[in-house]
Amino acid sequence: MGASISKMMNKIFGSKEMRLLMLGLDAAGKTTILYKLKLDQDVTTIPTVGFNVETVTYKNTKFNVWDVGGQDKIRPLWRHYFSGMLGVHDSVLSTGRQASARTQGLIFVIDSNDRDRIDEARTELARIIQDREMKDALLLVFANKQDLQGAMRPKEVSDRLQLEKIAKDHVWKVEPSCATTGEGIFEGLAWLSNNVKIPNAK
Amino acid sequence: MAARTNGGTPQPGLQRQPSFSSFPPSRSTSSISFRNDKKARSPQPPMLREDDGSLDSSPRNSSLSPRPGKSKLGGKVRSQYPADSVENHVEYILVASFDIDRGSVMEHQYPGPISGDETMLAELMLPDQAHVRSQDWTIFFLHKDTTAEDEEREARRERRRKRRRRKEGLEDDEDDDDTTAGADEDEDEKEEDGDESTDDESTEESDGDTEADGPPLIYVLNLVNTKQDNTVKRGAIVKAMAICTRHSFLHIYKPLLLLALEEYFRAPVLETLASLYNALNAMDLSLLPKLSSMEQFVLQASDSKDMFIEKFDQMIRQRKKDDAERDSLPSEEAPGSELRKKSYAPPRDTHEFESKVNYNGIPVPIKVPTALSPETVGDFSLIKLIQTFSAPHTTQPQPFALHPHLTTSGAYTHPIIVLVNALLTQKRIIFLGHNRPSSEVAEAVLAASALASGGLLRGFVRYAFPYTDLTKIDDLLKVPGFIAGVTNPAFAHKPEWWDVLCDLPTGRMKISHRIEAAPATEGSMYFQQQSGLLNGAGMNQQGVAGAADPTGDSQFMDRLLQSIADRHGENAIRAKWRSWILKFTRIAAAFEETVYGASALYIGSHETDAGAYGVSGHGFVWPDESSKMRELAANVHRIEGWRSTRSYYSFVQDLAKRWDKRPVRGIDFHHQHDRLRCLRLSHDQSAAIYLAFARAVKEAGAERGESPSDADLPSLMSQSLTLTPSNNPSSVAPSLNNNNNELRRQPSAQLQYDTILQLLIVVPESNSGLFYIALGLFHPRQDVRIKVVELLERILEHPAGRHFWAGLGRFAKLAFFRVKREEVGHGR
Repeated sequence: MGASISKMMNKIFGSKEMRLLMLGLDAAGKTTILYKLKLDQDVTTIPTVGFNVETVTYKNTKFNVWDVGGQDKIRPLWRHYFSGMLGVHDSVLSTGRQASARTQGLIFVIDSNDRDRIDEARTELARIIQDREMKDALLLVFANKQDLQGAMRPKEVSDRLQLEKIAKDHVWKVEPSCATTGEGIFEGLAWLSNNVKIPNAK
Repeated sequence: MAARTNGGTPQPGLQRQPSFSSFPPSRSTSSISFRNDKKARSPQPPMLREDDGSLDSSPRNSSLSPRPGKSKLGGKVRSQYPADSVENHVEYILVASFDIDRGSVMEHQYPGPISGDETMLAELMLPDQAHVRSQDWTIFFLHKDTTAEDEEREARRERRRKRRRRKEGLEDDEDDDDTTAGADEDEDEKEEDGDESTDDESTEESDGDTEADGPPLIYVLNLVNTKQDNTVKRGAIVKAMAICTRHSFLHIYKPLLLLALEEYFRAPVLETLASLYNALNAMDLSLLPKLSSMEQFVLQASDSKDMFIEKFDQMIRQRKKDDAERDSLPSEEAPGSELRKKSYAPPRDTHEFESKVNYNGIPVPIKVPTALSPETVGDFSLIKLIQTFSAPHTTQPQPFALHPHLTTSGAYTHPIIVLVNALLTQKRIIFLGHNRPSSEVAEAVLAASALASGGLLRGFVRYAFPYTDLTKIDDLLKVPGFIAGVTNPAFAHKPEWWDVLCDLPTGRMKISHRIEAAPATEGSMYFQQQSGLLNGAGMNQQGVAGAADPTGDSQFMDRLLQSIADRHGENAIRAKWRSWILKFTRIAAAFEETVYGASALYIGSHETDAGAYGVSGHGFVWPDESSKMRELAANVHRIEGWRSTRSYYSFVQDLAKRWDKRPVRGIDFHHQHDRLRCLRLSHDQSAAIYLAFARAVKEAGAERGESPSDADLPSLMSQSLTLTPSNNPSSVAPSLNNNNNELRRQPSAQLQYDTILQLLIVVPESNSGLFYIALGLFHPRQDVRIKVVELLERILEHPAGRHFWAGLGRFAKLAFFRVKREEVGHGR
């Protein structure tokens, strides 16, 4: 009851709901980005054991952001997050049908200063983005840690990741970012919000 | 399994390592017998609970009246955890950490590597979101892969069988006595494998009902700490330490784990694990007496703090005697080790045994439960579980998606009833606690297992995963019916992974739309045909009351919640659930007899119905046929759902075993007591019941003069022909086979003791105690009143019975003394 009213309000005021999954190699800055989005603060993070998930509202769009730990051993788990990522409460409480719940947007975070592992990052990204469950997802790449000297610029990142090739079936963008200052983060979200295909929450 | 020493250095290359997994082996374990592996246990000297006062001068003794009923049974009381036991309290200590490059890794294992998937273990030890809280507890279970051991044991058993055959061949030659030796042999072997040193009657009773469905589980208690540390890369250290034990009361180790993990942060070396391991295994529980399963139940159902204190006292007397003998031996011990004469104090509350563990010079007090219920692991709160899912349902009920097994009272069935139905019918159940510590989901899983077990049913804990995560999902989904605790909300989005989702933060439960439909069965068809008839008949008589709540579950939940609101406490709530489960199984037995003509849940009905004591009948009691049919019809789906589950099959096995050992078979005490309680009986009917009770108890005793045959069963009769009075009693007593189960039902002090226990189990405080039996003191027939006095006298002399007597009302006690004074003398 409560949920359906708020959904109706969303329709009237044109607000959206979006399911986002944020992945990337370990220590790329995923959790820092998540809490920058959520709290607009620079929080000191420690390695994520498992995952973090937060709901962030930005410009009439409710983002459900999943941040999953990046150590190579736990990467095989990422696939479990590709589908079914409805809002937590919606799925527990609604007794009605389950929407087909594919992730609508993938945020892939790159440590722009880590040239050694950019190939590793490409391999992982290719594996994710080519999964059947991800076929409709928008791809936003944060070229993070732009504040560091010698960081790769967005063009270099997209080249090294071979996005033209591995993400040719997807709408994608590389956004330069600095999670600690927030630079680029909200711009990235705005891009996702503007490009998401399903305009309103069902 | 490898033997290992206690104090020594770790032994890296142990001879044979079992393999462990957090999932039960997929192959059938039905052929596996129990209690196979014995490990060397260090001969630690008993060192605990040595108080300064001697037993007799301790204050609690002087304040107590002398304890009556000092048993004529005389047998030696055995320890639950003998000092010379080969089993360790704790088998492994593990440490895992979260590596910033590699994820979860195992750091140290003591005394040797626990084989199996180390990464899997490390992941379980470092639960999801460990980084957001400084401390978290988890519990998980390990299943031993016993394939190799089974083969070895089978070979060993075969050898022994041959040896025995040779031996028996000899004996047969000697006394030319061809009893049913050959047929008994297999039985013999089975029992013997369980515990080779059975020489005591209580042993088999309690051993018999453990772990018949596989090797014992290893319970793992795990503590994880996250410490912010600016000196390390990425600013934090996450480490976890775990204790692996076969004790289901693993929560007692919590304070030690806290100390040891703290110590490990200071000294991250193997020796830290070793010192914890040695300290834990040095814990002395040798003065904790072993109770039979009936005694355990009576103890648990009672609040009396000195129930079975006699056994504790006797343990102490035995120990003192042993000490004295040892002291009298010249200089076996180093001089000075026994400077002070040891003294021991009985427990303040016999429900738990106090001991202590000396860790790093700190004596940590420990309380070990005396009686363990099956399927009760760790410390959890049924009250908390019930309240979590009752509050939202009370304030704002939400309809469930209907499923015949689950929503037995319609769309608004109480969530706790849905949960217990799901457990009984072996559904896939997930407890989700997003943003909650993993200890919370683990507790909910353990509570749910105990809820459905009621201390009676088994097969839940073995398929419970108190904490698990996405890494195990593929294995989890292979398990048919499970109870799992998770903190990752991703599980909520996958209705294909579960049948019932229990969300702890919101207290809401949800039935998956992907749940498998309930198949149509013979039972449901039977009641569909009957339903037309039933409705017609039922409506006229009972009106709406029965129709609104045909299962009685709504009423039960209301009373339960009232009881919680009245602060009756965890034990009272557990007792109420036990009675719910017991009622369910009894209804199921009646259901099977109605639909299928016979019930695997009541195998001895023909013996009981023979009416050896002048009353017949068995099972649940209904006031009339139509209310019986109504209740059966209301339960048909969940009973049919239960009838194909693990817990059903184990229960059938347990009942068969229990029936085998049942002290008195010719009367169903529960059924007859229910008749006294629920039915309006004629004086002659109630007289028959009172006389039967008195006679059953009296004739179980050895002291009577008349022949035993009048009450006993045909099978016993035939046995007693073949069992020509044992020319060698000492050899007969300890051995265990069917003949001896019959033999044990020969009148004796032990049989009378057990028979009274069998009666007391029917009348716990939660079932009005001795009240209905004492009503017989007011029976119009004098012979009945006199027999009831005799019966109560025997109960009064019984070590457990005296506590029941104490709980009896003043009015009944006065009547007892009046009848005794005025009538018994004249009657005789």
